[in-house]
Amino acid sequence: MRGGRKGSRASPRSLGRAIRYLIRYKREAGLAYGAVIIATLAQLAVPQLVQNIFDAVTEGQIASRVLELSSDVQGLAAQQLGLTIEQLKANSQGAEGALISTGALIVIFALVRGLFSFTQAYMGERASQSVSFDFRNELFAKIQRLSFSYHDRNRTGQLMIRATDDVEKVRLFIGQGLLMAVQAVILMAGTLLILFLTNVRLTLIILPVLPLAMILFMVFGAIARPMFEVVQSKLSALNAILQENLAGIKVVKAFNREQRQQAHFDAAAEDYMNGVLRVMRLMTFLFPAIFLLANLGQALILFFGGSQIIGGSLTLGEYQKFSLYLVFIFIPVGQLGFIVSQMAQAAASADRIFEILDARREVEDHPESQPLPPIEGQVAFEAVSFRYFGAEAPVLSQISFIAEPGQTIALLGMTGSGKSTLINLIPRFYDPTDGRVLIDGHDLGTVKLDSLREQIGIVLQETTLFAGTIRDNIAFGRSDASIEQVIAAASAAAAHDFILEFPQGYETSVGERGASLSGGQKQRVAIARALLLDPRILILDDSTSSVDLQTEYLIQQALDRLMIGRTSFVIAQRISTVLNADQILVLDKGQIAAQGTHEQLLERSEIYAEIYHSQLVEDTELPTERESVSLEA
Amino acid sequence: MFRQAERIFGGEVSKPVKVSVTLRRFAGYFRPYLPQYLIVLVMMIVSTWSQATAPRLIGQAVDCYLLPLAGSGFAAGRFAFASGLGSEGSDPGAGQLGGLQSNCTYVTPKADWTEAEMIAGLGGLVSRIVGLYLIGALSGGLMFYVMVWSGQHVLKMLRVQVLQQINRLSIGYHVEHEAGDTMSRVTNDADTIQQGMTFALVQVASGLMLIIWISYNMLTASLPYALVALSIVPVMAIATSWFSTQARKAFRRTRLEMGSVNAELQESIAGVRESQAFSREDENIASFRETNAANRDANIRAVAFTSALAPALEALGYVALMLVTVVGGIALLRGQDFFGTAMSFGLIVTFVAYVQSFNRPVQQIAVLWTNVQSAIAGGERIFDLLDVVPDIQDGPDAVEMPEIEGAVELEGVWSEYVAGDPVLKGVSLRAEPGQTLAIVGPTGAGKTTIVNLIPRFYDVTKGSVRIDGLDVRKVTAASLRSQIAVVLQDSFLFSDTVMENIRFGRPEATDQEILAAAKLAHADPFIERLPQGYQTRLGERGTGLSQGQRQLLAIARAAVADPRILILDEATSSVDTRTERLIQAALAELLHGRTSIVIAHRLSTIRNADQVLVIDQGEIIERGTHDTLLAARGFYSDLYMSQFRRQAPDDRADGKEPGPAAAPARG
Repeated sequence: MRGGRKGSRASPRSLGRAIRYLIRYKREAGLAYGAVIIATLAQLAVPQLVQNIFDAVTEGQIASRVLELSSDVQGLAAQQLGLTIEQLKANSQGAEGALISTGALIVIFALVRGLFSFTQAYMGERASQSVSFDFRNELFAKIQRLSFSYHDRNRTGQLMIRATDDVEKVRLFIGQGLLMAVQAVILMAGTLLILFLTNVRLTLIILPVLPLAMILFMVFGAIARPMFEVVQSKLSALNAILQENLAGIKVVKAFNREQRQQAHFDAAAEDYMNGVLRVMRLMTFLFPAIFLLANLGQALILFFGGSQIIGGSLTLGEYQKFSLYLVFIFIPVGQLGFIVSQMAQAAASADRIFEILDARREVEDHPESQPLPPIEGQVAFEAVSFRYFGAEAPVLSQISFIAEPGQTIALLGMTGSGKSTLINLIPRFYDPTDGRVLIDGHDLGTVKLDSLREQIGIVLQETTLFAGTIRDNIAFGRSDASIEQVIAAASAAAAHDFILEFPQGYETSVGERGASLSGGQKQRVAIARALLLDPRILILDDSTSSVDLQTEYLIQQALDRLMIGRTSFVIAQRISTVLNADQILVLDKGQIAAQGTHEQLLERSEIYAEIYHSQLVEDTELPTERESVSLEA
Repeated sequence: MFRQAERIFGGEVSKPVKVSVTLRRFAGYFRPYLPQYLIVLVMMIVSTWSQATAPRLIGQAVDCYLLPLAGSGFAAGRFAFASGLGSEGSDPGAGQLGGLQSNCTYVTPKADWTEAEMIAGLGGLVSRIVGLYLIGALSGGLMFYVMVWSGQHVLKMLRVQVLQQINRLSIGYHVEHEAGDTMSRVTNDADTIQQGMTFALVQVASGLMLIIWISYNMLTASLPYALVALSIVPVMAIATSWFSTQARKAFRRTRLEMGSVNAELQESIAGVRESQAFSREDENIASFRETNAANRDANIRAVAFTSALAPALEALGYVALMLVTVVGGIALLRGQDFFGTAMSFGLIVTFVAYVQSFNRPVQQIAVLWTNVQSAIAGGERIFDLLDVVPDIQDGPDAVEMPEIEGAVELEGVWSEYVAGDPVLKGVSLRAEPGQTLAIVGPTGAGKTTIVNLIPRFYDVTKGSVRIDGLDVRKVTAASLRSQIAVVLQDSFLFSDTVMENIRFGRPEATDQEILAAAKLAHADPFIERLPQGYQTRLGERGTGLSQGQRQLLAIARAAVADPRILILDEATSSVDTRTERLIQAALAELLHGRTSIVIAHRLSTIRNADQVLVIDQGEIIERGTHDTLLAARGFYSDLYMSQFRRQAPDDRADGKEPGPAAAPARG
């Protein structure tokens, strides 16, 4: 939200950059632009053909009238007309033929124009759909890779709007608006040229109308642009409320807050509507105004052209042609109006798209980053401090320790003491504000992220499952894993049995938020997920969600198995964990308050003793003999 | 028209019914804006009238003022020729080249008009035309604005209703349906309605009116000539209906594809942290690419039809133009009589103008009709959602829940999520006002189901849930839930300030009450440490807080609600045990004097409970108090021995000693 507001001024540069995406689709774009030129030229020919018909009719008719006159007057008339009797006869007899052939020409032109304007529209759409395909992919990829701190600041709903609505707005402009602009320019230039060649005086009369229309558009564009931005941001706000309401539906219902949420939403909907109406007030009167200008042009031509006809310096055919071409000059003016509004929206949207695409990943591979070789598992913190974006107080300050390969490091501390932040630095979800984190002596800032994270397994208490099968969720980190490997991991995580209880076993789909699995089941899937990676470094929270005894026991066993032989960082909740830990870090207000083994700390550290007695719980043992026997076996 | 529609949609079962039903429902929404639509209608008539009349006046201008001289004008300076002929006086009509047919009805042309008189007359006529244009522009603008205004109001109402419906639907519905899909109805579908039902509809309607008006004008001006000009209309109609039917089918597909794109976006963005932790970005990107490609292809296919339609209609328009000029021209050349119609230049000019103003609305209708159709499809989807009957709703004779004393009673309750697969099998329990009732049992035993029944998140399939003797199905959900507070394991927070998140429990709570609740929940210390204290804005779902902190806020939220009945799904492990101890004290205070149903994981809670119910496989297998159950040495005592005994020291006054069974963990 905070990030989104600044730099909201739509810049033509973003739009230009968006348009350059068309270069990737040279064939489609080339065909579209080629077709628009041909189609427009064909369009320009039609009024000329209509004039030919009119002139043929007029000439033919006059010729036959003259020929009906008595022969002495005939000669005089022909002389006055500057034609010979033979020419008059030819005019009279050839008129019908000329008429029909011109008619046939019009049909041919219509066909050509139809064919090419189809090509233009279709290819334009293909190109623009391809561009929007690229945009969505790039946005998606970027969003997937943006660091945690970015996602801390941005809401899902807002990011979604950019990949859907904003992309669509840019697409519309690239697919239609831009082509239309090219068409409009050709049509206008061509028409003006023809008009000047036909009748300079008449052209000069209607010429002032054009800048008037242009000014109207400019003013409109200037007023409308900020309005569109407001509308767009209000739509985002509306969506965000909706999205949260859906995600938190249970809380909303539990607290009977439907009314309040509704009121919230109603206000946002009202706000959005008023924004739209403000823009519409402008839009709805702009278009009739443009139309009016076009019609006024026609009226002017009728009057001044009519005067010229009365004055004898213009033919009816020429007038008709002029009037038809005049339509052509106002079509582009009207189109430009449309384009201007579309462009304003597209520019704002393009800005919002590139804002994401250009967002700096706080955590990023450097060009010279090397892949992290297979690691032993030594982790070192060197005077690490960390502050969350926008926060003043550091969450961690001056943390230093070394975890040797295979060691278990237990983290203890109050809620908010910095345990989670500390473990988030190891897979480099965040970069330290100060200091360095090293694995096997490699500064994490210098290695490739993927090669780092591939070697780290994470099991947190809060597990998100994704839509897909249980198998997909277990193979989440290694989608190429065979079913045997998945089953092995699931068995080790004590998940195999409950999975088989589902009718579809490993192929059971889990809902959007993994709704059909219980907390304990999700947790075991998460353990299996981490096991499958066979990581050298493991990060986990050894607490068990409120699950029944047997499940808890199974989970604890699975966690213990998971830790063997790996460098493990454990947010410790169990006594056994700290007893077995090679090192215990006691965090307090972002600092290491005490460090050592259980025995050392119990002697030395008062805070440890207190936490040990008050926070930690024992391992679960199974209640019945039968089960403990079976587990020993 | 309708019969034709039936034939076209025949292939899709029940679609025609749905289209007309959907349209009728839209009409229902538009009804409150009837006065506005009357304005729209009047404005539409005025603007159509001005558009249909202008070409006739232009024709009159030609016939009355220009035609007499048209012949003379086809080369410069020929005026002398025509007047010269006239001045010879052999024939008074010769000055106008005799037979050049005129249909002038605007004025009676006079042979002796001077040039200035004619120009003045023309000017008068032109100013009338300008007046018409002005009226047309004003009425057109007003028409659009009023239409958009009421359309936006309708749309807002639809959006609001969708959210109302979302909140009315039971939890069960939301568990089954993807949030992304539901969202897309409010965003994308509402968007198509916005486009289709405001701009497009008014364009289509006024276009139709204009077509009819122009046709009428043409037919009255000259029946045979009009038939020639209109002969391409059936072709246009066929082309339009074929293309747009194809397009509509294709567009329905695009909606589905867009829904998938949305769903995948939503899930991947929401789960982005997990994806990064497991380096899953590339797979996700590849999978999205496929969904995205399917969406692109569906769109390109749909557009093949729409982009063919407009050019086809335009070409047909040119054919009409050709027909009018060629047929009119030949008739004029030959006998100046076309099946009984006296042909004139003015008539041709008028018809050319008619055909032109005819083409525009036909094209617009064709293009915009697809918009209207996507709006109908969008409407169908929204109405489908609105039509889902919530499984849980207030009965017609539901009464307000009176102030709750706090007696909670389940009697022979059966419950199932999937038909035929009961989760609860005949559960009966009774909590007296002020009592604390602890429910313990293994995962999947049905504990959560029991507590979900009390605020009526789900309904029982058999038996009844009664509060103070009133069946929860007989009272309004709002009055019931407002007296019950729930603390869920998954403490969902909103992206709002900490203050507002706590206030969520009771909107009218004062800041003081919120501070008190936060203190009670021991959330106060950590809140004070946040950058802006109580005014700190939380990220989506409370990001920026640890899970323990989120839970503290959820407890504060319940405390501020000051409920008569409290439902607590304890989540022991989320909060470190030290904080936990503080909360225990707070909860003891919170539970005091309220009926509480607790899914218990804490020994202290169980010990202090007035009743402990042990649930297994949907049945209550043991009940009593901690002490009596322990003495009975049944299921509970096993549970206690293994699960709760280690919590025993927590309850001791000094709390310095580890539990009695501080055996080495890995035995």
